[in-house]
Amino acid sequence: MKECLMCKAPLRNEIRLSEIIRATPLINDPICQGCSNDFLDLADIPTCLGCGRKQTEGMSQPCRDCSRWQQSYPFNFSNCALYEYNQQMKDFMKQYKFNGDYYLRKVFSGQIHRQLKKCPDVIVPIPVGTDTMLTRGFNQVTGLLELVNYSNILKVKAKRKAVRQSEKNRRQRIELIQPFELIQSQKYLIENQSILLVDDVYTTGTTIRHAASLLYHAGATSVRGLTLAR
Amino acid sequence: MINHISELYGRQIPLRDLSEKLVANPNIVLREAITVQHGLTCVRCGTKLRRSTASLPNNQYYCYVCIQMGRVDTLTQLASVHEPNQFKGINDPLSWKGELTVLQQQCAEKVIEVFQNKRRHLLWAVTGAGKTEMLFKGINWAVENGLRVGIASPRVDVCIELFPRLQAAFEKVPVVLLHGKSEQPYQYSQITICTTHQLLRFYHAFDVLVIDEVDVFPYSGNPMLHYAVQNAVKPDGARLYLTATPDKSLFKAISRKKLSVSYLPIRYHGHFLPEITVNRTKNLDQLVDSGNLPRKILKRIAQLVADKQRFLIFVPHIKDLELVGRAITNARIDARFKTVYSADPQRIEKVALMRNEELDFLITTTILERGVTFPGIDVIVLKADDEIFSAAALVQIAGRVGRNSDRPTGRVLFYCQSKSGNIKSCDQQIKLMNRKAAKL
Ligand SMILES: [Zn+2]
Ligand SMILES: [Zn+2]
Ligand SMILES: [Zn+2]
Repeated sequence: MKECLMCKAPLRNEIRLSEIIRATPLINDPICQGCSNDFLDLADIPTCLGCGRKQTEGMSQPCRDCSRWQQSYPFNFSNCALYEYNQQMKDFMKQYKFNGDYYLRKVFSGQIHRQLKKCPDVIVPIPVGTDTMLTRGFNQVTGLLELVNYSNILKVKAKRKAVRQSEKNRRQRIELIQPFELIQSQKYLIENQSILLVDDVYTTGTTIRHAASLLYHAGATSVRGLTLAR
Repeated sequence: MINHISELYGRQIPLRDLSEKLVANPNIVLREAITVQHGLTCVRCGTKLRRSTASLPNNQYYCYVCIQMGRVDTLTQLASVHEPNQFKGINDPLSWKGELTVLQQQCAEKVIEVFQNKRRHLLWAVTGAGKTEMLFKGINWAVENGLRVGIASPRVDVCIELFPRLQAAFEKVPVVLLHGKSEQPYQYSQITICTTHQLLRFYHAFDVLVIDEVDVFPYSGNPMLHYAVQNAVKPDGARLYLTATPDKSLFKAISRKKLSVSYLPIRYHGHFLPEITVNRTKNLDQLVDSGNLPRKILKRIAQLVADKQRFLIFVPHIKDLELVGRAITNARIDARFKTVYSADPQRIEKVALMRNEELDFLITTTILERGVTFPGIDVIVLKADDEIFSAAALVQIAGRVGRNSDRPTGRVLFYCQSKSGNIKSCDQQIKLMNRKAAKL
């Protein structure tokens, strides 16, 4: 019998009522109902139009962080997130990314494929550094995109000065040197194109905006972001 | 980070976890963590890996089975140092001064013999027989002779309970406790208590390995843990399996003469096992599912609380915990209780509250069935006919009662809609033991 990828409990493939009503194609879920319920899907609830976070009471639209970005960031950029970065998502990330359990990409890669298969944009994953590639053996973002046509346009610049994120204040973070560079031979793929940048987690929004700047400078007409979690 | 060579004695640790100055040590033996000849095999956990699942984009493979112990892949090497048995000779290290019953004494002598002859043996003793005390003399002999001793159990709770008892019994011997949640750093010690999972970090370490509650993970379902046992013990080491509820694979090993067996059907205090009372209850499942309990059960609970008789309520599933808790609260039973399940982040704290008598009862899933003892308690099992309760689990649950010589009896109340095969089998096993005990 198949097991839930996350909790290893045996999977009974139950046909859900919603699938019968909506007549959506049957999907073999990679995780059990319990594990799936612990992820908070942001699709059906109000979110910040700037970064995709869940709207909470008294939150402005866009949220304060995003308003500040609008003042300091020269380009048009907004992000959409699939799930809240809650405890369940943190546990998933720990296992997938930090423990390096590459097979766990299957928890989301099917769903991401279904969502992106009609996307007309050029899909560009955020890259990981060569060190990570060596030790972890995979890029967690392209793992999630395994069933999607994407274009490797970016790479991490060699030899970045390592400063821990938390040790930098916001201003310093924004002014930090661009961590990415274009793979020159791929540049033609983005000129005059709409781009969808994909990352695993949107935390401060700095990383993905660095990448967006680079793409705008290289001639992209629009750049949006999609992250698994916010 | 591994800094000292002794931390590698009889262990297998990914090379990347070694400090820089240690890596060059000539005593270190390296092995590939995953071998690719004849199919992919994880050397640490013994799993035959599926290529499609194990493959990484950099053309390497990783083990997805033992990944909780830190990932090993085809670039990983496991570092070991041959177990040198570098222990100070301690004369008569046993500081425990308790006494064994005649029957316990016989078993204890058997244990020594098993250790001396490096045999594989099953000690089949009822719940509350005093298994741990029966080990002491054998461990004493092993320690005196400079042997390395391991005691492993599949359950964290069992390990946590064993640790202080072993420490108290062998005051002069360093004892280390290893499990997934412990913060105690690894230290090379003559006595190691650990979960069977932690055995995956050992390689030909133990001269004597005791595996407690061996039936928790039946052989068929968990080849990894049995591989870990085999790997952790020295090739000519002694293995002692302890259980109150042997499973088919153990019987098979016995009949194939791969395992010898000795048997103890009576508890240390000489009293019989409490037999179970089965209460057939109509619509129990529906009532529980809707957050209610039958009046007779609520009355029973209220009575136990009023009598200051502490108890455990076992339920089959995590979702039942809250439902049953709510039903009891709604019935306005004035009691101090908590619900606890295996992955409960506050599990250790809640069990401690119960132990300190700050609670009247705990509602729990099967996880507390073994190892954990609270003196003088009663036990209630709701939906005892649920398939999650195996006969062995039910025997263990019933075995929580009457452990203490101050109150060697107690109630074991099973509530169910029908008397399932597992309930019948549990009933038969307990009665069989009591019949055997009566003949002694
Ligand atoms: Zn699950
Ligand atoms: Zn926002
Ligand atoms: Zn493995």
